[in-house]
Amino acid sequence: MSDRYPGYDVMTKRNGPSWNDVTRRVIDNRLATPKGPRFFSAAEFETVRSIADRIVPQRRHDPIPVTDFVEARLLSGQGDGFRQAGVPQAGEAWRKALAALDAEAQAAHGMPFRQLSGPERDGILHRMQNGDLHHSSWGGIPPATLFTQLVARDIVFAYYSHPTAWSEIGWGGPASPRGYVRTGYDRRDPWEAAEVKDGDDAAAIRKNRRVR
Amino acid sequence: MQTPRATGGRAPDVFTPGGWVPMREYDESEEVDFVIVGTGAGGGTLACKLAEAGFSVVAMDAGPFWRPLEDFASDEAEQSKLFWTDDRLVDGENPLQLGSNNSGKSVGGSTVHFAMVSLRFRPEWFKSRSKLGYGFDWPLDWREMWSYYREVEEALAISGPVNYPWGPPRPRYPYRAHKLNAAALALAEGCEAMGIPWTETPIATLSAPRGRARPCVYRGFCVLGCSTNAKQSALVTWIPRAIAAGAEIRDLAMVGRVEVDGRDRATGVHYHRGGEWRFQRARNVVVAGYAIETPRLLLNSANSRFPEGLANRSGLVGKYLTVQSNQAVWGISGKEIRSYKSPPSLALTEHWNYQDEGKDFHGGYCYMSQGPEPQLWANTQLASRGLWGEALIAEMQNYNHQVGLKMVGEMLPQERNAVTLADETDQYGLPIPRVTYSWCDNDRAMIGHALDFMGQALRATDARDIWKQTDDTCHLNGGARMGDDPQTSVVDADCRSWDIPNLWICDGSVFPTVGGVNPSLTIQAMACRTGDRIAAMARRGEL
Amino acid sequence: MRGRNAAIAVSGLFAAAVLGGLAARSNRPAPIRQPPREQAARQLDLGAATLAGSVLFDSAVEHYRGSFEHRGMYVPLAVASATIAASLSGARQPNRMRTGVHVLAMLTGVAGLGFHIYDISKRPGGWSWQNLFYAAPVGAPGALSLAGLTGLAGQQLRTGQVRPDSQSGRALAALAAIGILGDVAEVWLLHFRGAFHNPAMVLPVTIPPVASLCLAGVAAGAGRPSLRTTRGWLWATAATGLAGVGFHAWGVHRMMGGWRNWSQNLLEGPPLPAPPSYTGLALAGLAATRLMEEAHE
Repeated sequence: MSDRYPGYDVMTKRNGPSWNDVTRRVIDNRLATPKGPRFFSAAEFETVRSIADRIVPQRRHDPIPVTDFVEARLLSGQGDGFRQAGVPQAGEAWRKALAALDAEAQAAHGMPFRQLSGPERDGILHRMQNGDLHHSSWGGIPPATLFTQLVARDIVFAYYSHPTAWSEIGWGGPASPRGYVRTGYDRRDPWEAAEVKDGDDAAAIRKNRRVR
Repeated sequence: MQTPRATGGRAPDVFTPGGWVPMREYDESEEVDFVIVGTGAGGGTLACKLAEAGFSVVAMDAGPFWRPLEDFASDEAEQSKLFWTDDRLVDGENPLQLGSNNSGKSVGGSTVHFAMVSLRFRPEWFKSRSKLGYGFDWPLDWREMWSYYREVEEALAISGPVNYPWGPPRPRYPYRAHKLNAAALALAEGCEAMGIPWTETPIATLSAPRGRARPCVYRGFCVLGCSTNAKQSALVTWIPRAIAAGAEIRDLAMVGRVEVDGRDRATGVHYHRGGEWRFQRARNVVVAGYAIETPRLLLNSANSRFPEGLANRSGLVGKYLTVQSNQAVWGISGKEIRSYKSPPSLALTEHWNYQDEGKDFHGGYCYMSQGPEPQLWANTQLASRGLWGEALIAEMQNYNHQVGLKMVGEMLPQERNAVTLADETDQYGLPIPRVTYSWCDNDRAMIGHALDFMGQALRATDARDIWKQTDDTCHLNGGARMGDDPQTSVVDADCRSWDIPNLWICDGSVFPTVGGVNPSLTIQAMACRTGDRIAAMARRGEL
Repeated sequence: MRGRNAAIAVSGLFAAAVLGGLAARSNRPAPIRQPPREQAARQLDLGAATLAGSVLFDSAVEHYRGSFEHRGMYVPLAVASATIAASLSGARQPNRMRTGVHVLAMLTGVAGLGFHIYDISKRPGGWSWQNLFYAAPVGAPGALSLAGLTGLAGQQLRTGQVRPDSQSGRALAALAAIGILGDVAEVWLLHFRGAFHNPAMVLPVTIPPVASLCLAGVAAGAGRPSLRTTRGWLWATAATGLAGVGFHAWGVHRMMGGWRNWSQNLLEGPPLPAPPSYTGLALAGLAATRLMEEAHE
């Protein structure tokens, strides 16, 4: 995929007026999230990673540690504030979903989910999203609900909590005390991402290098 | 935050990092005039009104007492600390999404993360059964509410248009409207193409300095907490006034039970604070926990004399929970919209609230411009559109070009939509709520109309790839509705429960109907009225 | 940082215009007591330069906010700078170039008005409060025309193309009266936008209108109010313009992040360069009273 905001890195604003102390603290902590399994078992952790690779595919040298972020949220014990009747709390629901995905993978391909090829994983995830999985290990919990309201949701939230993802979509990022001045059509403050216009990457790069 | 801040004769000063203001404290053995459960749009406002009227007031909130300037980060994940994320079950044909969507857990309640849209009810809605043929009548007169709307608009220094296009004349808003962002311009363009009026949204964020609060910087994190105090939430308006007038705010105080004596009078509340259960005596108890926690508390307070829950002889506590439809149309503009800048809903149209011709449904809706932040937007693509994988990553590249219109629509009150108690318990050992919700045909008809109309309006701009988000709802109301008849309502027009004369309910749960506008202004207006009514009753010895 | 470079560039432009203008000023010993005509001409020069200075900085800030989307948005900066230089150079002889600059300033103001009207009319809402508040300001370009007119008047007075009589005094008073009134309208609009949240915001919509009324009386030849009273209100108006810069600096401080967040607050806060336009117009009004005085004598 071509880069729409070349040279833009939201982190260059970290020490400028767009970030305040509490934001710096929060993002620093997030970027220092411990690696590796803490909540999940090693096998479960790999399964989560194999799902995340499909939900938010990354081809960068230093990928966003989506799985670590999912773990951190589960360890914090903070829920979303609602769950469907019959669905257990997040941690337990995650484990059930991982076990059920393994069971489905074994039934269909004879190996655990994390060892499947990308397209094979996609196939199972699509059927999960559509509620088209019926193995008994789901325990009566609707797979579609688990997909949309838990598994894929947590992964998507994790991915878009990382500054690299913010830079990728050209979002302005943290903004306090400084907010924005130019808010109309096609208006950009000098501290916002510049997108490539008319194929002129160099112009966008030049502007994005000046973002502070 | 785990440790209460409002202790030792002082409360956090919301306007100063690390600052404090003196706060009066009451002994638990002292029978205060009012203990209020909840400090949001209902409870926070009433605490101020009652304290300023000279009553002794203790207002409790399960959430923390923030200082926005130092506690609020510019970060979606971090700011989920503002939401009520305790365990709740949802079911029904159209299970609700709670938490970030509509439930706050802070001193100041959901107003700490509301979108600040401050609209008045259409006058007829207070008598929608008699005048419009659906729903239920309120026991309130719109003209009286009109004057209380004014009181709230001044208390919050609402920034609004110089002339409002709909409804009876209203006084000028205290502050001028904000400059429109691109998302709002797109709404305006769409309306002009469709030949209907639009206007700048009356909104509770400052367009000029006010006291120690600074004006809006258009950072766009409004629904994640305002770190500049431009947002005129209860936390920075009613609460400081209440404290200055002698009210005590108890933060991180979860009320689990209202105690009622053998003479059917409330005597105080059991609450959990600092790791233990405590009891505060009071002459009056006001429940203001919003449409889920209020019925839950009343149901959880059942005793031998009130086996079905307090104030529930009508059987209506928890019933007629009514939310609002919050569907949207989205598209991709050729122009850079960057809707993350500015408050999300700077322009709106109430055309379909005031226009009754050409509708095949009851009720009305308004629609507004939108400005989701990245996590929310990505999740919308996942949950409402089913996108993930390369499709999601590619679609998110259009983030700065996405533009949308979102409705706030009146759903009809139905008895089957209800808050009940589940078998499971929460961290305090209290039964958790089960929230059951199903749409009716009228709801679906209105949503269909709105999606069609908004789709046409958006198509009239340069937006392409237009799609419909069909699943969202917002705002919680009902569950302890007000009325003229003890058989068919829980409280009277003064928010006083029919069954227990010193038990009051003052929040969105008393709404008999919800109208097609965001409810916060009406909740606050009603709380102001209740405060005045209580003061008048006290003068006459009727408390 | 681009904002900082632009600020330095505009300040440099201003300094060059002021120094260039003063350097070109004919170097001659000042008489012990200048004739009123000379005094009036100097006041007009200074008034024109002040107005043009206000326009230079204000349009620089506002057009920077507008990202200089069109090349035309640089024009008022250049013309205002030239007007400053031409006004301060104080020509003794009729000078085509200086006249040309002043006429150019007048025309640029009119053209600017046209562009600003076009900007408003093409926006959703058209002639709405929203666009009057936040679109290109209708009144602002007028200040450049007034600077040109004032500068031209000063030059013609000094070169003797215009006689320092009561008639020219009255014409000048009328010009200043109308100019101040236009400024009042602009200030009222923007302070109304700010909901007059600070009581001091009432001052610039109360003092200058009185000065404008006094000047109107003078222009009409009513004999009332007295020139002395008129001068008093004009000095008060001039002071209001200067004090306004201080109030606006305080206003920037009151925005979120204060002066540390200058890259936002210099644009979003109250405009620092705007208030001195009152000072410039008040100086023109004072020149008018000076001429009237001479005629009386």
